[in-house]
Amino acid sequence: MAQEREEDNFRSQVEDRLDHLFKEDAPEEEPVGLVEHPLKNLKAVLLSVDWEITDSTMDSLLNEIKNVEYVYSEDKIILTFLQLLGSIGRYVKANKSKAHPEATRVINSVYEALEKVALTRGMPRAEKEKMLLDEVGKFKKLKEQVVLRKTERKEPPAAEVTPAPPAPAREPKEVPAAETPAREEEREKSFEAARFAQMPPHEAFAYALEEIKDMIRAEFRALRAEIKLWRESK
Amino acid sequence: MAIINLKKKEVQAKIVYYGPGRGGKTTNLEYIYKKFRTRIQTEMVTIKTHGDRTLFFDFLPIEIGKIKGYDIRIQLYTVPGQVKYESTRRLVLRGVDGIVFVADSLAVRRKENVLSLKSLADNLASYKKSILKIPLVFQYNKRDLLEEGIPLLPVEWLEKDLNAKLKAPSFEASALKGPNVVQTMKKIIIMTIDSLRKDLT
Repeated sequence: MAQEREEDNFRSQVEDRLDHLFKEDAPEEEPVGLVEHPLKNLKAVLLSVDWEITDSTMDSLLNEIKNVEYVYSEDKIILTFLQLLGSIGRYVKANKSKAHPEATRVINSVYEALEKVALTRGMPRAEKEKMLLDEVGKFKKLKEQVVLRKTERKEPPAAEVTPAPPAPAREPKEVPAAETPAREEEREKSFEAARFAQMPPHEAFAYALEEIKDMIRAEFRALRAEIKLWRESK
Repeated sequence: MAIINLKKKEVQAKIVYYGPGRGGKTTNLEYIYKKFRTRIQTEMVTIKTHGDRTLFFDFLPIEIGKIKGYDIRIQLYTVPGQVKYESTRRLVLRGVDGIVFVADSLAVRRKENVLSLKSLADNLASYKKSILKIPLVFQYNKRDLLEEGIPLLPVEWLEKDLNAKLKAPSFEASALKGPNVVQTMKKIIIMTIDSLRKDLT
């Protein structure tokens, strides 16, 4: 009897603590809501593309991009974001399930950055440009991956070649032009991926673990560099 | 297996969000993290890299605080949902104390839900754990899509397909918008701590 009471007491303490921690009235982290925003429909269409790529969803996406372009016709940064989305959208529409898996990731990443730029009040122009450049970089990398994949598959006749995402009408000038090392790196990555697929599971796991370690090391290097830059700028 | 340190009076439990790919497991954790990060004061860790073939999981630790003198920590994990990541899923399940099965309510994902639940049972069995005994909560996700006219599986079908034998608690939810995300998490935490309590007394 006493033990039961003790157990009930323990459980109710856990429940109270959870209720306290996770009260649903916590403020949203979103800077501004999308309730009546011009991006609202674009976001809804993108969410549907996330789980179903059909001509109809892709047409809706491209139409919605045009609508938003009209609203932001005076904002060059947002227009460039929209051009990136349009380019990848047209590529995904043309290739559907054969599209490079990175394409949907990049499209979501571009949209997230666009939403942040469009909705964050008072964001400095330099920060907006930096976010745009990051996304342009991802877009360029995707283009390289698509080209690389096409080369490796040794696709026949030009008429049947799946189109790579076309370049957006305008790209910021600051984007670096040298692409050869990146291409080599991509080729190397692709070979690694093929090797990874042939490994027995325990080796594949060890390999993946090494990859993660490398990635974490790279992240730390990048962080250190950023901290150094920040300190120097002070 | 939970880490229970009776000397230091610490309890650390591992809860895994399992389910088919694109079902909303990560979105669950992201919702919790975005909405409550100022209170839980921890960082969410996401590992998803290397093109389309890699290890991938999310990790969100939560400090519940002291209860009856014990410091209680919960670790929320997700597994990669795609079929090809079976080894990673099995690995993430090692030492699991509680499971949230995030089922995709989309009508077209009926088969994937069933296959994923079967893989959960098999993977637990490889650690000598029974799906019938481990604390388990079902979450029928994406219910918000009904308003948009998208065909969803009726909850009765989901219950029949997945929960007929297990009879676990279940929630209709929208990980994207939030309804029942927190309730699902609270339920599994309470069930998991309940199951560990015998080791504390």
